[in-house]
Order: sequence, then C-alpha cells, then structure tokens
Amino acid sequence: MSAVRFQAIAKSFGPVQALLPVDLEIAQGEFLTLLGPSGSGKTTLLNICAGYLEPTSGHLFVGERDITGLPPRHRNMGMVFQNYALFPHMSVAENIAYGLQVRRFASEDIRRRVAGALQMVRLDGLGDRAIRQLSGGQQQRVALARALVIEPDILLMDEPLGALDRQLRKEVQLEIRRLHVSQRRTTIYVTHDQEEALVMSDRIAVMRAGRIVQLGSAVDLYERPVDTFVAKFIGESNLLAGIVVSLADGRACLTVSGIDQPLAGTAAPGVFAGSPAAALLRPEAIYNRAGGLKAKVLERVYLGEIVAVRLSLAGGHELWSRRLAGEFSASDIVEIGWDANVVSILPNASDEPQLGGTNAE
Amino acid sequence: MIGRIALNAFVALVAAFLVLPIVAVVPGAFSAQSFIRLPPETWSLRWWNTFFADPSWRRTLISSLQVAMLTTFVSATAGTAAALGIARCGPRVQTVLTGIFLGPIVTPVIVMAVALYAMALSTGLVGTMTALVAAHTMMALPYVVLNVGVSLSGLDRRLLLAAAGLGADPVRVFQTVTLPLIAPGVIGGSVFAFVTSFDEVVLSIFLAGPAAKTLPVRIWEEIRVEYTPVVAVAASVMLVLALMAAIGSRFAARKLSP
Repeated sequence: MSAVRFQAIAKSFGPVQALLPVDLEIAQGEFLTLLGPSGSGKTTLLNICAGYLEPTSGHLFVGERDITGLPPRHRNMGMVFQNYALFPHMSVAENIAYGLQVRRFASEDIRRRVAGALQMVRLDGLGDRAIRQLSGGQQQRVALARALVIEPDILLMDEPLGALDRQLRKEVQLEIRRLHVSQRRTTIYVTHDQEEALVMSDRIAVMRAGRIVQLGSAVDLYERPVDTFVAKFIGESNLLAGIVVSLADGRACLTVSGIDQPLAGTAAPGVFAGSPAAALLRPEAIYNRAGGLKAKVLERVYLGEIVAVRLSLAGGHELWSRRLAGEFSASDIVEIGWDANVVSILPNASDEPQLGGTNAE
Repeated sequence: MIGRIALNAFVALVAAFLVLPIVAVVPGAFSAQSFIRLPPETWSLRWWNTFFADPSWRRTLISSLQVAMLTTFVSATAGTAAALGIARCGPRVQTVLTGIFLGPIVTPVIVMAVALYAMALSTGLVGTMTALVAAHTMMALPYVVLNVGVSLSGLDRRLLLAAAGLGADPVRVFQTVTLPLIAPGVIGGSVFAFVTSFDEVVLSIFLAGPAAKTLPVRIWEEIRVEYTPVVAVAASVMLVLALMAAIGSRFAARKLSP
C-alpha cells in the first residue's frame, strides 16, 4: 500500500493551469524528489500535499484515507520551508516544542523529545539560543528538527537547502540522507538542483510545465531519459539535433547536419523514423580515437579531478568532453570517438504551451 | 569641520523650536504669583496644591484617564481586528478599506464635531462618557489600523502556515504567532490612541457635559475665565502622563520585539 497517492490532482490559479492532472504514488519509507525548473508545478504539488493549497480537482490519499479537504493541522505532516519559517520570537527549543505543545504532550515528555531532536540534528546545548543567533545551516537543522519531532506520517521539504552555500549544502544533503536511512520516514522533497535529487532520492519525478515528465530512479533518469528536457536537466549532456533515418529493434540512426556518418544509438520511446530527434552523448563518454571525428578545441576547463574540454564539430555543433587525454590548447584539432551503446536517440521535448501562456481563454 | 558645527547648531535650533514652547509651560506651574510669567519671579508648589485639592480638577483628570483608557482598549481591539481583516483582502479592496479607515484623520475635526454633536443630540448621548469614548475611538482607530497594518505587512505568512502545519488551530496560531509578532504595532497604535484621546479637545467641547468633562475641556474653560498657573499645572500633568505612555510603550515594544 502506498503511503501517499495523488489521484488526478490538478490546480489552476484563475486562468493559469499550474498543475495538469498528476497521478503519483509514494511508497512507505520512500524518499521521493520533485525536480524541475521554477514554474514547473513542484511546489504547488507539495503545498497541495501539506494542505496549504486546495487542488482544483483530484484526490489525495494518505494510506487508504482521502484527505483532500482536510486542513493542514489535521494532516500530521512535517514541513520544512525554503527559508525555514522559524518563529523568530521563540528560542530554538520553543520552536521545536511547538508541535508537541499543540499536541498537549506532558512538559517532561516535551523536554525529553526536544533534547532528543536537538541531538538528532547535532545541535545539543543550543536549545536556549534565539533563532537570529544561529547560522543558516543551524537554522536549517532546527527547521528539520521541528518537523521531525512531531513524528509526522510524511516529511515535506521545499528547497530546504536553497539558502545555504555550496559546501554546507553538501554536508546537509548527506545529513538528511543519513536521517532518512535511519528513520525511513516517507519524504517528499522539492528542488531544482539535480545534484541534490541524485544524492538523496529513491525516486525522482522530473516536472515540467505542470506535469511529471519522467518518474524513476537516478539511474533511470540518467541512463534512460525520456526526452531532451530530462537529458538536459539530469547531469551534463551533449545533444546533437538531427532527423531519424532508420529505426529497428530499439536502435535508431540519426543524421546530423555537418557530420558525414549517421549517429547510431538506443532509441527512446517516442522516436519515429523521419522525425526530428536528438542524440544524447554524455561528456564522460567522449574520448580520443585516432581516425575518429575531427573536432576543434574551443576551451579547456580545469575542474580538479578532471579536465573538461569544449569542442566544436563540423556543422557548428558543440560538445563537452570529460575524458580527453593529452596536452592540447585552444584551436588544436583532436580526433574523438565514443561507444555506440552509450548514445541515446531522444525525442525533442514537446513545446507545450508554457504555464500562464496561450491557454488563457 | 565648520560645516559640521553649523549643521549641529541648526539641528539644535530646530529641536529647540519644537520642544521649548512645550517645556516652557512647566516652570510656569511652579510660580508663586497668580499669573503666568516666564520665568516665575518666586517659586512655589501652591498651584499644584490648588490643582489636586480641587475636586473639580481631580474629577476631570480622572474622567480624562477613564475616557482615554476605554478609547485605547476599544480602538486597540477593533483596530487590530480591522487591520487583520484588511490584510486578508485583495490589493484593490485594501486600498479602499484603508482609505475609509483613515477618513477620520483627514476629515476636519470641526466637521466631525458638528456631525457627532447632531448624532449625539438625536440619540440623547450628549454629555455622556459613552459619546466621548465613541467619538475618541473614531479619531484613534486609524492610528491602530495603520500601526498594526505596518506590523502585519512585515509578518512572514509562512510562519502562520508553519504553525498550522504543526497542528495549531487558527485561534492558537493567532495567540502564539500572529499576536506576539504584531505586538509592537498594537502597542504603538495603542499609545497613539491613548494620546489622541487624552488631548482631544474639539470633539470633547461639543460632547462633554458636566458629568463627563475631560481635562483639556476644563483647561479650555479655565483660560477663558482667568489665566492662572493652575492651567500650567494641568498642562504639566498631561505632558508627564503622555510622556510616560510613550516611554512605557518603547520599553514594552523592545521587550516584545524578537
């Protein structure tokens, strides 16, 4: 039985369709990330789950129970907001205790649970601090503790790391992951950062223009993106646009202007012979091959453990490679190749009307 | 350097222009003579004794305080509720409602006085404390609505969502989150309300009767008859009380602000 089930949940704001009917099931103990650019509907979906927004149509189930119209206070969900939304007039401990006091726990019990929660997020001894005395990372942990201490059925997080610097973000990502692994609490996490999604999630729902474009594990999304949008959104990608010339047994060939040889690759569903498509080549799949395709080096970027090289192909196409060996500098000509089985031929992401666009009648 | 000295001197002059005439009334209250002269030639507490020994002065002081406190209570409660309601409306309705609530501030007081006098006559409320409190509340309410409105506009709505998400019902959200966070605005508005009522004289002259005469009205009546230092004493008493209200509110607001 799923922990949470969205059944044809849709939301409009006036004439603007923020969310097209969405069906989504989240398993007990699963960490599901809603990943997408701003305006894709991911926060809308999260707010519907929390009860802060009412869906225009559809139903929301927790277990077997339909909670579509239930106010937030009866849902027993823990929410971590983007800028934490900690109560500025309360201390750290008072913030964490808030949900327990509302639930009329005994004061001794509250003290014990708050202390436990502080320990869980490694803020022992900071209970008496005022919120404004804490760093961003510490505030983030208080928000997490406040949401978790009520033992919510579902933990909801709305871009909780958005305000942190890069180093801290990585630390807190791993901490959230660690807490999830130890508690196995059903979690819905919203972010536009693909790295966060890849590090923490069991499954990722990639959203665009109010709908879920693809739902799957990190590996699914990275290795088998359904279209060019997902390919661009997950990981680094090179996309070469062309026309499909042949399609058979799940393999397709794509002609790309300026490149003599058609590119062969695994065809994704939605690729048809004669239609435009794009070949996905991950930067780590491109290496030196004598006698291969000729490419001009445009720039070389040192990234520490690897060197990324931007290449220009005949026909004006540009590629990034992360596996080119040797010393070279800008304008050198290199010969490159890749293994045929790492190429995917993807349909172009459909140009649906963007949100708030033409469907305003 | 010279520029700075000149600037400071100018600032001092402006401050003196604003404050001195008000402060000047205080020495007048300590005169031993029967008329106000600055500075007094001889000093005494004679007029303070007169003021506090005279039941009619004492009564007006007490009814002034009563009216001001009732006005503060009514306008703080109603004004806060109004500001909360206005904040929930759409931007256009907000503009209209704010305009209506600020009306009494921009309406000439004498116009309000005439209108209210007519109303009070027809309802038989002339000379009652009810009429005074109602009239003063009209004048004081806008300040509460404004102050609380400013506090509310700085209130992060997500704090209310967070509290609701943690299980709090709307009443509890209001008590534990909204009210503490807008308290500085409520207190600031209340002080304005108190002071507005405490020194209101135009409406009070029209509406006050022998049963409910406020201190400013008594001062007004007194100086039309004779200009003795007891008026300066009454003015000093008002000054001190108003200052106390202002200072007290600053302390309270500082203690409450997060």
